[in-house]
Amino acid sequence: MHRNKAFEEVLEFIWSQREEGKNSVKALLSIKEVCEEADSGTLERMRSDGLIKIDGDVVTLTQAGERLAEAAIRRHRLAEMLLTEVLAMKNDDALEENACSFEHTLSPEVADSICALLGHPPNCPHGLPIPRGACCGKSKDDLRPIVVPLEELAVGTNARIIFIASKSHGRLDRLGTLGIVPGSVVRVHQKRPAFVLQIGETTLALDPAIVKDIFARRVG
Amino acid sequence: MHHKKKTNTRAASRRIVLVGNPNVGKSVIFGVLTGRYATVSNYPGTTVEVSRGPMLGASDIDVIDSPGVNSLVPMSEDERVTRDILLNEDIGSVIQALDAKNLRRSLLITVQLIEMGLPITLAVNMYDEAGERGIAIALDKLSTMLGLPVAPTIATQRWNVDKLKDCFNLHKTSSALVHYGPAIEEGIAELAAVLPASRISARSLAIMLLSGDATLADWVKANLAPDKAALIETIRSRVQARSSESVGYVINRTRLKTVDHICEAVISVSERGSHPAAAFIGNYSMHPLWGLPILFAVLFIMYEFVGRLGAGISVDFLQKFIFEQFVNPWAARVVGYVFPSGFIYDIIVGQYGIVTMAFTYAIAIILPIVSFFFIFFSILEDSGYLPRLAIMVDRVFKLMGLNGKAVLPMILGLGCDTMATMTTRILETRKERIIVTLLLALGVPCSAQLGVILGMLGAVSFTATLIWAGVVICVMFIVGLLASRILPGETSDFILEIPPMRVPQLSNIALKTVVRVEWYLKEAVPLFIVGTLALFALDKSHALVWLEYAASPVIKGFLGLPVEATQSFIIGFLRRDYGAAGLLAMQKDGMLEPVQVVVSLVTITLFIPCIANFFMIIKELGLRAAIIMAIFIFPFALLVGGILNYALRFLQVSL
Repeated sequence: MHRNKAFEEVLEFIWSQREEGKNSVKALLSIKEVCEEADSGTLERMRSDGLIKIDGDVVTLTQAGERLAEAAIRRHRLAEMLLTEVLAMKNDDALEENACSFEHTLSPEVADSICALLGHPPNCPHGLPIPRGACCGKSKDDLRPIVVPLEELAVGTNARIIFIASKSHGRLDRLGTLGIVPGSVVRVHQKRPAFVLQIGETTLALDPAIVKDIFARRVG
Repeated sequence: MHHKKKTNTRAASRRIVLVGNPNVGKSVIFGVLTGRYATVSNYPGTTVEVSRGPMLGASDIDVIDSPGVNSLVPMSEDERVTRDILLNEDIGSVIQALDAKNLRRSLLITVQLIEMGLPITLAVNMYDEAGERGIAIALDKLSTMLGLPVAPTIATQRWNVDKLKDCFNLHKTSSALVHYGPAIEEGIAELAAVLPASRISARSLAIMLLSGDATLADWVKANLAPDKAALIETIRSRVQARSSESVGYVINRTRLKTVDHICEAVISVSERGSHPAAAFIGNYSMHPLWGLPILFAVLFIMYEFVGRLGAGISVDFLQKFIFEQFVNPWAARVVGYVFPSGFIYDIIVGQYGIVTMAFTYAIAIILPIVSFFFIFFSILEDSGYLPRLAIMVDRVFKLMGLNGKAVLPMILGLGCDTMATMTTRILETRKERIIVTLLLALGVPCSAQLGVILGMLGAVSFTATLIWAGVVICVMFIVGLLASRILPGETSDFILEIPPMRVPQLSNIALKTVVRVEWYLKEAVPLFIVGTLALFALDKSHALVWLEYAASPVIKGFLGLPVEATQSFIIGFLRRDYGAAGLLAMQKDGMLEPVQVVVSLVTITLFIPCIANFFMIIKELGLRAAIIMAIFIFPFALLVGGILNYALRFLQVSL
């Protein structure tokens, strides 16, 4: 099904307005991003498509609208997470813009993959909840995210590093010279009093603050 | 391929530099090649200074031992030393020591050395340890892939090291270069065109500059016109703009990819061999629960070995028996025979005589203690226990603006604070170096002093030992805490390589102890003599009585000590172990009661270790920092001692 970009934008804003406890049509149309994409005519079309209900100045989502809005919000917030956590983008206006254009190209399958990659994150970088997807609701075993922070792995686990979310170049360089780069397989040797991991025949003690930024996938 | 060119170049330098990752055995190879001893231990960062020496059997060839590096883009002072040797010195050939069981990391250095265009020989060292772990390396294949001569070695057993001597004649450079992709390669080509001729290849310099090596700023300033320097920056930012990751990181990852490719081709791992006992102890010594009892066990053994056996039994034997029964009476008789009495008699065998005081203290008291300590300490160093200790203390050190790595210089300080001050180079930021240097100067007693202290406290009670240790540790912690709040600057990440536990080699322990004791004698005895002469002069001119009188409000009133303790504090300015030895002599003469022992020891522990340490602080941190530290430390030491005196007396602590 072809998704209507303007509809999706409007639905997302109704959703996020609702999170703030607002439901005014006027307030909705005064948001810059909304009026760039939509006007009262758009709302009217959405109403006739059965996505929203308008009662005076009050706008609410129908069941169908709710489903679409939830999916759009989920894609948007996952996109934000992907950009900040994996691609190490700063949390600023540029992030919002990129996430916006990104979300509309994501298929539900890709969104689920991203969700799994990120370990089914509960919140976006702004701290807002990310709606659960089908991938998050599977049976308990499958719920174990594929990529997790290294510090969450049990002692003795072997894991392949998938990404290092550090924003410090110095830190990345230093880890790199020790062979800690995406793709390397490491073994969690101990977690306290300091984190110790093994890479090949090298044993390394690492700052918890560094380990926090290392995400890995279990192997054999 | 450049055969003709090579023969045409000027007479090649007769200088070999040893390069490699930390703790791979460069210093051992240096020792075998030159017959000289550079300190060898089982933890990264043992070598912070460069050793040089002529090669055995080829004295026209100079061998240089360099501090270990994980990258030739330096991240700490000691790494920079190595890079600067490669950059600035006239190097004829490089021997890289590789860790056979960690080939991946070692080869990461190799590809950088190859880029520099230097002739290289690879020593795949610790070949036996790789074998024990079931790691087999196809050395011929490695040699072919890199185009370099490769020799497997076991340096600690001197196995195959002589083969490295031939490397100088092979003089082989490699053309196995890493390709970094179009964006970076373009940048390299542009930069290489701008750079002046240098001892190492323009390509390698270009890559370092692209990596954003800030330590090269001085070199750029010295070797390039300002407009060229600006051009370099422009090219660098242009290349950076084409990548979302830092260029340095991309370069490093590309290198690792190349290295992984080589590793895959040459390494085969079979079923892991086991070395259960060592690994077992190694794991438990950094265990969150068992680590502590092990630490206390280590401390207790040290107390018994150094305090009881060294400072107690051995000192008693040497001082009471050898010196008081034989040496001093004989010396008195011999000197008395030549100079019946008077000035010269006094200066040699009088109360403040060179033999009766300086030699008795140095040889009868300090020497046995230092020897016992260094034996114990060498075993600790070579076992690989110390870095594991860093894991145990990391959290506590974080509170002081440091990380676990800082425990290495602190523990080394128990051997010698002067050497340890130099070792602070392994720390990454100036702030950390200042804090550790301050704590070393303030609270860490060196072996000589520690031995005397343990001996004195052992004679009082275990409670006394606990009070002394508790006060000193608390003071250090509080000062560290405050210093980390006051001092500007950053702290660094805790990243420390933990070496495998090894059974110490008897020969290295013996050699290391001998070298250190010899060093101690050379360092300390002259200062002991100077201190004795100063006391002698003060005594003869009656200034000592006057000083004791002047200091008595502080010494007697505030610290509650006998006025004679003043002389110990005076020589404590020169060396605090000498001061402590003076206190020990007073205790043996029954002039100090238990509370006075503890108070005087805490006070003198908090003094600056010795004049040499003070000069080392000036050398490492500058005159200003050194003077500020001294101005803080001496009054502070007296203050803590005074407070402790009042507290102990007020609480009526029985010791």
